[in-house]
Amino acid sequence: MSVILPRGEAFLYPGGPVGCLVVHGFTGAPAEMRWFGQQLAKAGYSVVGVRLFAHATRPEDMFRARPQDWVASVEDGYHLLRGLSEHVVVMGLSLGGILSLHFASRRPVRGVVAMSVPYVLMAPWRRRLRPFFPALSKVMPFFDKGAPDWYDPHVAEDHLEYPRHPVRAVASLVDVHAEMLRRLPLITAPVLMMSSHGDATAPPWHSQAMFDRLQTADKQLVLFERGGHVITRDVERQRVADTAAAFVRRVTGWPKSTVRTGRSR
Amino acid sequence: MSLTLPSPVIQAGAEPFLFRRGRVGCLLIHGFTAAPQEMVRLGAHLANHGYTALGVRLAGHGTTLDDLARTRWPDWLASAQDGLDRLRGLCDRVVVLGLSMGGMLSILLAAETPLTGLVLMSTPTLVPPNRLRPFLRPLSPIYSRIPKGPPDWFDPSVAVERIAYNAYPTRSMAEVIDLIEISRAALPRVHAPALIVHSLNDAFVVPANAETLLAEIGAKDKRLLLVEGSNHLVTLDAARETVFDAARAFVRRVAGPPR
Repeated sequence: MSVILPRGEAFLYPGGPVGCLVVHGFTGAPAEMRWFGQQLAKAGYSVVGVRLFAHATRPEDMFRARPQDWVASVEDGYHLLRGLSEHVVVMGLSLGGILSLHFASRRPVRGVVAMSVPYVLMAPWRRRLRPFFPALSKVMPFFDKGAPDWYDPHVAEDHLEYPRHPVRAVASLVDVHAEMLRRLPLITAPVLMMSSHGDATAPPWHSQAMFDRLQTADKQLVLFERGGHVITRDVERQRVADTAAAFVRRVTGWPKSTVRTGRSR
Repeated sequence: MSLTLPSPVIQAGAEPFLFRRGRVGCLLIHGFTAAPQEMVRLGAHLANHGYTALGVRLAGHGTTLDDLARTRWPDWLASAQDGLDRLRGLCDRVVVLGLSMGGMLSILLAAETPLTGLVLMSTPTLVPPNRLRPFLRPLSPIYSRIPKGPPDWFDPSVAVERIAYNAYPTRSMAEVIDLIEISRAALPRVHAPALIVHSLNDAFVVPANAETLLAEIGAKDKRLLLVEGSNHLVTLDAARETVFDAARAFVRRVAGPPR
């Protein structure tokens, strides 16, 4: 019996002394970061893809997920990546971006890439109901996701995610998101934020708001005209991956000269 | 509601590890309430001989006892599989080495996917007779932890660096007992060459467990190594060098020399 869904597996690509830790989003799976990770591997970097606790298994597992479980999943990936690379850039999508920024506020990393990270998770009146989420989850374990925002219907077809939001896990998401926002000014590593105008969950003003709160000397915001929330797979995926690779190269100075073309098409 | 997580969440010394060497890899899986630290000496030994070694941290371990109480056995199996999936990115041959509950998880991995070899250390196959078993889950909200017995080291010096919770969460103990039956049921589907290691002095999981394991495993190539002068934790206690040498010789026999 495999407990992890097919294509939901964590991954590792060996490369050079600079490593990229890549983290997927809430209710998502490593699959949404795999192609992105492969592009970074082609550019010569070592890559470790995290599978967050309770993801890519069964939706009910999310009832038991707490912020420390997800933070520990990221720490696990970091320690394994350190077995391949001396320097680490941490990067993630949505919750993965939240966890990447959170990680960078606590650990020395060479850079952070935060993609499609929400600034406001839900309407303030809902947010105030946070203390009641655990009780609510007993009677209403899931709620429906909003309409999908894909630009590329082809990749939408095989997207791997839980179909609905587990209420108890949303409480954990709210908590870790709040702590990340509080810790944003503590980040000293270079930060790249990416976001797309078609994102229904985290539109570009979200990234702009967090960008403004960052105190780090080196910060960069890149907005894409086209594409939905999952920018690592949607229509601008190549530019997203190329922008991330260029950022890693700029902040780490590695590789010194381009020895690989890094592009398959 | 304000959250402040410890930094880091994983206890110092309880981190998973990766020693990158050649294309032959060893996946190391620790036991219940323990941490990757339990396997790191064995991992370093294998790496010193040219084998890539990856030690996983099972979900709920190396952080807090309350975190462990929230986990279920499929979470632990998923952590083990994460390690295997990652190690396959580095290695084309993989031997899985598990201690105690790590051995049970190794059996479940081997029943699912082809492996080059399997080292099962101090692995339980028999559920100890316990009339309380049906009550563990309902009792767990009130009686949340079961104290551990007194230490029984042959080499007490290793206790200093050992990282493990000082009790068993009652709720997870129910999971471990289920897992003994689930992994035993999978034994006939395990065909990878197997080395079974057990200490004759293991008072916690008695050697009869290893006899059952040897009898029921589906592998044709199977051997039992009984060691002396060690407690349950054969990767740490006084007989560890014997265990390390046997594990390395087994890896070399089934997977070949390091490449």
